[in-house]
This record gives sequence, structure tokens and C-alpha cells, in this order.
Amino acid sequence: MHITMVKKIMKDGSPCRKCANVINQLEGSNLLDRIDQIVIADERDPNSAGMILAKEHNVDLAPFFVVEEDGQATKIYTVYFKFVKEVLAEGVSEQQEVKEIMEQNPDIDYL
Amino acid sequence: MTAVTFDVVKLAAEYNDKTPSEILALAIEHFEDLSISFSGAEDVVLIDMAVQIKADIEVFSLDTGRLHPETYQFIEQVNNHYNIKIDLLSPDPKQLEKFVHGKGLFSFYQDGHQECCGIRKVMPLRRVLSSLDAWITGQRQDQSPDTRQGIPVLQKDNAFSSGDHMLVKFNPLAHWTSQQVWHYIRENDVPFNELHAKGFASIGCEPCTRAILPNQHEREGRWWWEEATKKECGLHINNIKK
Repeated sequence: MHITMVKKIMKDGSPCRKCANVINQLEGSNLLDRIDQIVIADERDPNSAGMILAKEHNVDLAPFFVVEEDGQATKIYTVYFKFVKEVLAEGVSEQQEVKEIMEQNPDIDYL
Repeated sequence: MTAVTFDVVKLAAEYNDKTPSEILALAIEHFEDLSISFSGAEDVVLIDMAVQIKADIEVFSLDTGRLHPETYQFIEQVNNHYNIKIDLLSPDPKQLEKFVHGKGLFSFYQDGHQECCGIRKVMPLRRVLSSLDAWITGQRQDQSPDTRQGIPVLQKDNAFSSGDHMLVKFNPLAHWTSQQVWHYIRENDVPFNELHAKGFASIGCEPCTRAILPNQHEREGRWWWEEATKKECGLHINNIKK
């Protein structure tokens, strides 16, 4: 299995706060070493590796994870806690997942 | 055809200019495990269109327990009018009980609506979507200039798909305006929630929804005590050179 994390640099050059939070959480949970590579999606550079991956996989959220495994279709995760649960097989509460889903999808509560 | 062979990106481009009925037909033709999400408001037009394609179309609605009486009455009216049975989804009683016991019935006025919506809406939604291959929403681009401008007519639902299960989300009304929706309702004698006649444009839970004044945006009738939060997670992939 090969895991790539894509983190974002914003148009003004500042780092994406959510990406930094996710890296902190990975570090705090001793999970960061399970990420094989971290690439940058620089909004100022459409040819940056992360922006190309985002386009290739039709992803419009950051951070996201690309999970490649021999003989299997590439899987993309935009919800961090879902990635942690399904790929890293770590325990995650439903509240954690739902909170993240709502933060990423500010319209979901209009349903 | 199953979800596995459903080319979302290609079909989203192909159906971008199609009518809502054509988009609904695509969804109904391709997916057996499919349901319409009905909010009890003007998205009733989706049901009106869908039953003409499939009379026993599945519909669900999130019964938060805090809806207006008018909305509950409207849900029954829609059931009877279209001879369908809307699946009403309730929050998990244990989670709700714990939340209400700990924070009371109106905590959202102090610390925001997310926690309450998470328990009353998103968790039940998540449960129902885990059993579906596709769902249909009434989301429109004109509902929020900030967050809905990029809504496509169909998309992979990244929020609720899992690594092994792709969920497709159809938004047949994405390009319609509120004016077009209401024109359809009037032209086709579609029943509507009487709250609309009382000045409610966007309808949600009773404590979190209010009538709006002329020329106010419909979103001003929801969670009006909260400030819009800065959103920075989007990637502007449209700017990428081809």
C-alpha cells in the first residue's frame, strides 16, 4: 500500500489551517510515519504535484489522501477520520467523522 | 448498469445542460438503490417529476423532531397526493437523549447549530446513505452564492462514499433558480408547504428558521444569529491549465 497526503498552500502563500491540523493529529496519534509521501497543492501553481493530483482525481477539498494498492483501484479520501478508520484501521467516533463532514460541507445541514 | 461502471465525470459534463427530468431519468435508470432527499419545502418538485418516471420512487426525509407543524402536515399531504410513503428518519434516541440532557433544547443559540444538526440530521443521513448507491437532492446553485455556486448536476459524494462503496449524488435542480422552481409549482399545481405563504423561503427546524423580508436572501432565514465562517478547504481546481 502506498499513501500520499496532499496538503494545500493557499493563494496568499499561507498554509491551509485544516491541513496543519490534520498533520498535527497524525503526529499526535503516531500515525504520520504511515504516510508514504506528502505533496503540496499550491493554489498559486496549477502545475504543482498536489494540484495535478487534485485534478486527476476530481477532488476539490484539501487535505486529501490517495491510497494505492497493487491490483486495486486507487482510493481517494477527503474525510480525514474516514481515512483513519478505513485505511489506518484506527478507532474513530461517529461524532468526529460527522463534525468533519459538516465542516467540509457547510450546506449539508440545509437538508 | 451499476455504480461501478457509472462514469460520474463524463456524465456530469454530458448532463450539465439537460433538464431536471432528464437528470432524474438518468438516476432512476441507472440505480436501483436510489432515494430522493425531501426537506419538506420546494424540493417537492423533484417528487412531482420523479413519480412521472417511476411511480414508487423512494423518498426520505430527516425528521429532526423540531420541524414546524406545517412541515409535518405537508409531508403527509405529499404522501397522499403522490401515493408514496416518505421514509421519515429519526435521530438515534440515545445520542439525542444524551445531548438534550447535557445541553438542553436550545444550546444552538449559544454555541452554534452544528452539534444539534449533527445528531438530528447528519447522523441519520449518514445511516440511510450507507444503504444507497445514489441519492437525489434539491440543492440549487442560487441558494448560496458562497457555497453552492459550483454544484454540478451529478457528482461522486465524497462525504459519504467509503473506500469500497461509491455513492453518487444527483442535483437535478442545480441550475434552476428559485423563480423557475416556483413557476413549475404553479404551472403544475404542485402542493407546497404553507410556510412559504407566510414568508419562509428556506425551511428547516422551527427554532432555526424564520420568515424573511422582500429582497432578503433565503439563507438569511436560517441560523441568523451566527456569523458566516471562513471556509478555506476548497481547492480551486478550475484554475488548473489543461
